[in-house]
Amino acid sequence: MYKLINTTFGNQIVVRTNDNAYIPMDEANTDYQAYLKFLADGGTPLPADEGAA
Amino acid sequence: MAYGLINADQIGTSVANTSLGAGNASLMKNRIINGAMVIDQRNAGASVTPTATNTYTLDRWQAQLSVSSKYSVQQNAGSVTPPAGFTNYLGVTSLAATSVGSTDYYAIRQQIEGFNIADLGWGTANAKTVTLSFQVYSSLTGTFGGYLNNASDAYAYPFTYSISVANTWTSISITIAGPTSGTWNTTSGQGIKVGFGLGVGSTYSGTAGSWSANNYLSATGATSVVGTNGATFYITGVQLEVGSSATGFEYRQYGQELALCQRYAYIPNSSGNVYTTFAVGYVYNSTLGLATITFPVTMRVTPTFASSGNFQINAGSSTLNSSALSLNQGSPYTAVIGATISGGTTGYGASLSAQNTSSALLTFSAEL
Repeated sequence: MYKLINTTFGNQIVVRTNDNAYIPMDEANTDYQAYLKFLADGGTPLPADEGAA
Repeated sequence: MAYGLINADQIGTSVANTSLGAGNASLMKNRIINGAMVIDQRNAGASVTPTATNTYTLDRWQAQLSVSSKYSVQQNAGSVTPPAGFTNYLGVTSLAATSVGSTDYYAIRQQIEGFNIADLGWGTANAKTVTLSFQVYSSLTGTFGGYLNNASDAYAYPFTYSISVANTWTSISITIAGPTSGTWNTTSGQGIKVGFGLGVGSTYSGTAGSWSANNYLSATGATSVVGTNGATFYITGVQLEVGSSATGFEYRQYGQELALCQRYAYIPNSSGNVYTTFAVGYVYNSTLGLATITFPVTMRVTPTFASSGNFQINAGSSTLNSSALSLNQGSPYTAVIGATISGGTTGYGASLSAQNTSSALLTFSAEL
């Protein structure tokens, strides 16, 4: 499962919740590629909390 | 274009009049990183039992599996004497007598970045021949298998090799004509995948010694290591080089090999100092410290970040325990780590360090 995080710099980062890994939105990052596949397969990440991490 | 000629002395052999750029030049000839299995940033020599496929073990080496926990991987598992010229090896131990179904697969592999194989001309009429060499040791004997494959797992070359004497290091050399077909990445993605089968079902096994448009991870009929409980498979000295014969293994200095690995994974830890400082920055507000870490080498892509252990923010004369770390901004060059704290004074200079523990570590992963 994934969760979105708002950062202090105004951007978003994806968190893989099973190991709390922070995945940048870089399309060459293989973890982000796996996240994009999760979305393409119909997955929905947990929404970001209000405020910044 | 004309190439110059060199005379190069190598370990165990000598190459004369090699054409520069035409293969087997002595510097950086080995396209495999950590082929001598020296670097183990993640586990520092401890055994790991992979539960998910593509788990990284020793640096750059992945465990492939279709069912979890069927084998363990450890640097120097079993503590046998490495082959002459080596001090380390990657050791696989089968944890059960696993029946390999037609779609099952177990293997160890390395994915070589496209930039590092761009000169091979694979997928063109000028595809260069390469030679894969390694030293292998197993409690089993027989015909073993492995593979080369492209990024999309759509163009593969299964190969076989023989281990005729158990529990003895055996030198293997396999020459492979470069493929004139298939799509081969030549930039920062997956270039060539090189793997060694530990038990692969018929769906992913093919005829050895030829390229085909299939996803093969081994050769038909190859020995299954995972099929025997307690079976061992040790490997080191893995080298993939241009040319039709194996030359001596390319020994690199430790720092050089570590730097090559750190393009894909950078894992600083506090094993040497329980207050190791990892990054410096400032207190953003009362609940958050920000600290920037500069990577020792440019990473392949903006890395994924994870952490484990206890950390603290040192700000002014205060020491503030951190309850969590996060990635706030990243690039292939630097990362800004956020540390959740309480009682911080906004604007103070700060550093992020381990909190009196030898087991704090940060993981930045830009693996293929």
